[in-house]
Amino acid sequence: MGSHGIPRVGATFDKSEQARDKEWKQIAQYQALEKDVVGRVNAKDYSDATFQLTSQLLTQNPEYYTIWNYRRLILQDVFARELAAADHPSEQGAAAADKAGLPPAQHEILLLIKEDLQFLIPLLKQYPKCYWIWNHRSWLLGAATKHLLARGAVELWQGELGLVSKMLGLDSRNFHGWGYRREVVQAIERLSGGGDEGKGSGGLVEPEFAYTTKMIQSNLSNFSAWHYRSQLMPALLSSRNADTAARQAFLDAEFELITKALYTDPYDQSLWFYHQYLMATLNPSNAQAPPILDPCGAAEHLQYLDQEIESVREMLDGAEDCKYIYQALLEYSGRYLELAPEGEGKVTVTELKEWLRELRKIDPLRDGRWRDLEGKMKL
Amino acid sequence: MSLAAGPGRGHIAEGQLPEEMKLVVDKHVAYIQSLDTRRDELEYHLTEHLRIGGIYWGLTALHLLGQPDALPREGLLEYVRSCLHEDGGFGAAPGHDAHILYTGYSVQILTMIDGFEALEEKMPDGKHKVATFVANLQQSDGRFAGDQWGETDTRFLFSAFYTLSLLGYMPHQRPSEPPIIDVPAATAYIKACHNFDGGFGVAPGAESHSGQVFTCVGALSVAGELDSYLGEEGKDRLGAWLSERQLGSGGLNGRPEKLVDVCYSWWVGSSLAMIDRLHWLDKAKLTAFILQCQDPEQGGIADRPEDMVDVFHTVFGIAGLSLLGYPGVGEVDPAYCMPKHITAKIQRP
Repeated sequence: MGSHGIPRVGATFDKSEQARDKEWKQIAQYQALEKDVVGRVNAKDYSDATFQLTSQLLTQNPEYYTIWNYRRLILQDVFARELAAADHPSEQGAAAADKAGLPPAQHEILLLIKEDLQFLIPLLKQYPKCYWIWNHRSWLLGAATKHLLARGAVELWQGELGLVSKMLGLDSRNFHGWGYRREVVQAIERLSGGGDEGKGSGGLVEPEFAYTTKMIQSNLSNFSAWHYRSQLMPALLSSRNADTAARQAFLDAEFELITKALYTDPYDQSLWFYHQYLMATLNPSNAQAPPILDPCGAAEHLQYLDQEIESVREMLDGAEDCKYIYQALLEYSGRYLELAPEGEGKVTVTELKEWLRELRKIDPLRDGRWRDLEGKMKL
Repeated sequence: MSLAAGPGRGHIAEGQLPEEMKLVVDKHVAYIQSLDTRRDELEYHLTEHLRIGGIYWGLTALHLLGQPDALPREGLLEYVRSCLHEDGGFGAAPGHDAHILYTGYSVQILTMIDGFEALEEKMPDGKHKVATFVANLQQSDGRFAGDQWGETDTRFLFSAFYTLSLLGYMPHQRPSEPPIIDVPAATAYIKACHNFDGGFGVAPGAESHSGQVFTCVGALSVAGELDSYLGEEGKDRLGAWLSERQLGSGGLNGRPEKLVDVCYSWWVGSSLAMIDRLHWLDKAKLTAFILQCQDPEQGGIADRPEDMVDVFHTVFGIAGLSLLGYPGVGEVDPAYCMPKHITAKIQRP
């Protein structure tokens, strides 16, 4: 949203006569362009001239969604005409198509799509959170997939992987980018014939997992990357045909990774969410965190709760004012006591009360929640 | 999404202490009334693709501020009807293509101004036609597209649910007729967007985001499945994630490590209200934050102090205050973002 977070400077509302005049001219120009485009499209004038006018209008206002619709109408018309004219290609067209290994119509369509993808790039860089721009890109790739042979389409999709990596490099929290990345990966896997039932497992899961490792290493505080990492795990382990031992080694490595990160910055919320995720995979009542271990029963759950309560306890040293540590201790201890009510001396009620007291002191904003927690845990 | 911004900026009035800030009702009413008069600004024209949204946001704010008639009803009716297409969908402005989002806003406006009779005058069997437009956008896996061009998003699913509910075309509202949408498939899709941290994303696999939490929780609420699906444990988990959105300034952010923004007072606040955990926020600090985002002289509310105001942040700041029980602000329905006394008439599942 252009109205989020950018303190707009420079717009003065005590405008001089000159400034008002200039603005009126801009309005007149914009409206004239708009009228021209709308008039042409209503008259079904899907010429290249009209197409260029939509480029002009969209560059001025990429959120004018109706004009993106018009642009697609024109493209669809061109594609249809290309396919209809397939029997009579031009000499030039035929030669270029031959070189590319594509029938002439498909070659033309590919060129047009590539051109439009190029057109989008500066717009995407300027408005990286505009739904309509990402959507048009999706549509273009969809059209390519529909009209070209799988080989031609896959190449385009692979290009998109590079594009989205660039965009995520510019803003690693852009959820449009992450969503598009998921779409791209699924498409490549589906078109490459890899993975099962189009669910996209196998294929790119290893490089994608490696990508999250790279993102995390360059910036620990990247919730989106940690989230994507968590989403890839089930498919990753299944594609590795990971057995009991391999799965345990994997989980242990992830705990090691996140613990190291937490020691670097225990005040980073994203890291605690990832730690929570790993713990959630052990908890059968969290359907959104499928198990990593196999088998994964109460014994395993207890074992890791035990281990992590100890580990998190140690983090208190030097970070006694870190609310996330107390939250984690209370959450995991609570679960531990549910599974092993005697507690086996692991956690005492005194400790729990102390942690809760500290938490309420450090985090008064959420006092309503801590009072409820107190009641729920019977402290 | 850009909106005609300003002229005001969020700030505390000169000579006033933060604790003394009040909601400047009259200024906000005047601000909303002035929005359609700014045709000498380029930005007014550049935001035409959002116009019906702007009207819904402005009208809702006026209702909550106790001034439901501050925008002339005839003008609103005429405008909404001019956005109607033959297929029953509404565009953002006259001549703009039909889309589920703008259809939703139009139906909300018609509900608030009691305009369905006028709709039928323009389009016989209008409610049914609009409901059909919405229903036709459901895909085979339960999700909803925005229009014929196929973009899907949980926002569109929520739009579909609340729009049909306002029109009286949700299957539970017409039990003796064949259902025009597949509710179980739709709610299954929402559940596929549910994450381990309790939140919801824009699509399966996407990270939790407050906006999507609102649309998913709202949709489940409209379908009557919220309590049965989440249960107390699910509500605790989601409530925890939502409560963490509140930062030291008292304001709320949309997801971890992001900046505060007044509109999250709504997306986060209403979600917490729907799962009975609004008390997990510091209400006083949030109230103070919202009030600091007002322009006390020129009216309107901004996303955060010092930024420029716009109608989107104005309604969500006011709706947030309603949830927080700010005196004098009308009661808002947390699922519909409309006055509660109006949505009370909807037949629930």
